Amino acid sequence: MPDAQTVLEICKVRGFSRRRFMQFCGTMAATLALPTSYAQTIADALSTKRKPTLVWLEFQDCAGNTESMLRSPHPTIEDIVLEAVSLEYHETIMAGYGKHAEAALQRVVKEETGKYLVIVEGAIPTADDGIYCTVNGRTALSIVQEVCTGAAAVIAVGACAWDGGLVRSKPNPTGAVGLQEAVPGVNVVNLPGCPHNSVNTAAVLVHYLTFGALPALDAENRPLFAYGQIIHDQCERRAHYDAGRYVQAWGDEGHRKGWCLFKMGCKGPEANYNCPTVRWNNATSWPVKSGHGCIACASSRFWDTKSPFYSRLPHPPGFGVDVTASEIGWTVVGAVAAATAVHATGHVIRDHSHPGGTAEPHKDQAAERQTTEVR
Amino acid sequence: MAAVLTPVHEEKHVAAAEEHLVPVYVWELPVRLSHWGIVAAVTVLTWTGLYLHTPFLIFPGPRSWTMGTVRFIHELAGFELIGALIVRIYWFFAGNHWARWRQFLPLTRRQWHSLKAMVRYYTFQQRKPFEQIGHNTLAGLTYIVVYFLIACECVTGLVLLATVEGSPTLRFFVGWIPRVIDIQWIRLIHFMFMFFLMAFFIHHVYSAVLVAMTERNAEMESIFSGYKFVDDETIDEELEIAHLEPRHIFNPRRIHRDRHWDR
Repeated sequence: MPDAQTVLEICKVRGFSRRRFMQFCGTMAATLALPTSYAQTIADALSTKRKPTLVWLEFQDCAGNTESMLRSPHPTIEDIVLEAVSLEYHETIMAGYGKHAEAALQRVVKEETGKYLVIVEGAIPTADDGIYCTVNGRTALSIVQEVCTGAAAVIAVGACAWDGGLVRSKPNPTGAVGLQEAVPGVNVVNLPGCPHNSVNTAAVLVHYLTFGALPALDAENRPLFAYGQIIHDQCERRAHYDAGRYVQAWGDEGHRKGWCLFKMGCKGPEANYNCPTVRWNNATSWPVKSGHGCIACASSRFWDTKSPFYSRLPHPPGFGVDVTASEIGWTVVGAVAAATAVHATGHVIRDHSHPGGTAEPHKDQAAERQTTEVR
Repeated sequence: MAAVLTPVHEEKHVAAAEEHLVPVYVWELPVRLSHWGIVAAVTVLTWTGLYLHTPFLIFPGPRSWTMGTVRFIHELAGFELIGALIVRIYWFFAGNHWARWRQFLPLTRRQWHSLKAMVRYYTFQQRKPFEQIGHNTLAGLTYIVVYFLIACECVTGLVLLATVEGSPTLRFFVGWIPRVIDIQWIRLIHFMFMFFLMAFFIHHVYSAVLVAMTERNAEMESIFSGYKFVDDETIDEELEIAHLEPRHIFNPRRIHRDRHWDR
């Protein structure tokens, strides 16, 4: 699509009807939590505004976020938005290679300074001068420092680019960090999740195209429209939670009836994401709807903090991998109860074997009374 | 056994006649109210909290609202606990001699003696606990730990509430905490400290009964009535060493009625 300039034009080339295009604009307005009237504003922007240049950098990653964008059963307009921006550099899908590809990246950085967008996928290693991830002989750290500091905005997609994700989980041998730690001070939007949901990424780009600005962010630079609420509060199984109906074992009656997965370790109550509303695979389903608990993949350091995924709480550190918080807690209570019983028995035995001993000298009290008299 | 378990209230009058025990107004109303407020709140919070962690009853009925109700009770009791804690903390600075914060720390030589004596008492090295009117120092230190546990429970509870409650005020005060300590560790602290408070409850009731039976000073009754029965010698110590005056020891409104105790 060399001549296509706007999202609408590309949609026409790809054979999408105007109705589909308007549906998409409405979806984007809803995803961004904007009033319905903004669908028209978005449509106007996507029909007229020139596409910005975008480069997509991959570092310590599994390409899962790229896959999340590409592997839909048929091309969606979200994909088109990601394609519609002038994707000058993307290691997984670009046609060019070698020095031509690197030259394209350098051209963007040098000629469009302050205007292009960057999407970063994957963590950035910092240990041993960052040698654990290099592209074209350069470390990931030096690439992001050059490319991201010249960008208008940087979008960190996926858990790894946000805070290091799986790569950073203990023991983190490569010293991996997320983008905003590697390059502090850049204009960053974090879209955590393992992987990111391409609907949210498209919505951020649409917001940028429409309003020329990034959406409202929370304290961790995550867009509020996607990360403003916990999953638990948006979950379709929430009524079962409030009612007291829980799955107690995989495949039990409650599981077959679609009851709440709280007891199976669902992390919905501690996870901020809009999974239940935007869903996956063309809004078909999402993990909890399909019967598996949430693992809070969009939460900070979730591999370390939200595991074990099938327990409510993390295991207290220092007691071995299988010892739960409940076991330790009840052991403490039991030990104190046992010690109390032993102590009481000791008192009874002593008072029977040596009755009437309360008149014996009282050392500290005597010392205290001595002091009183001296005074 | 029989001697140990003789009801305290029967012994008290006999002992009072023999040893000239004097009723002293130790625990003022805010102390007793906050004490029972904490007892009620912690009891409710423990039971509801255990259900919140592991819903041990399943209600398959179409119109049940069990978890919703339990959560609501838990949150109400949580705010009651915060209220009781605030009253008690205020009374650390506004209360009588025995309610003040200085009573909880080994600051004076007498308090160090009290600490050592109580350790020896609990380890069977001496027969009688240290005789003093307010908290012994070992108990005082324990209560400092307990107040810390309760304060942590209140703060972590508010953090957990802030994740579901959209209140900007609440988020302003505690919203930054999950960015320092992950919300799952907050939950773990909130959960583990409950067990520590349960363990303390067992120890607290036991040691109160034990000391009450040994001392026969109406210790158990004192947390209801506010009065402990104290012998002349201990009162003299408190008056002289703690630089107390009779008006500190005797409730001014009760002195007239208790004139026959006045020496």
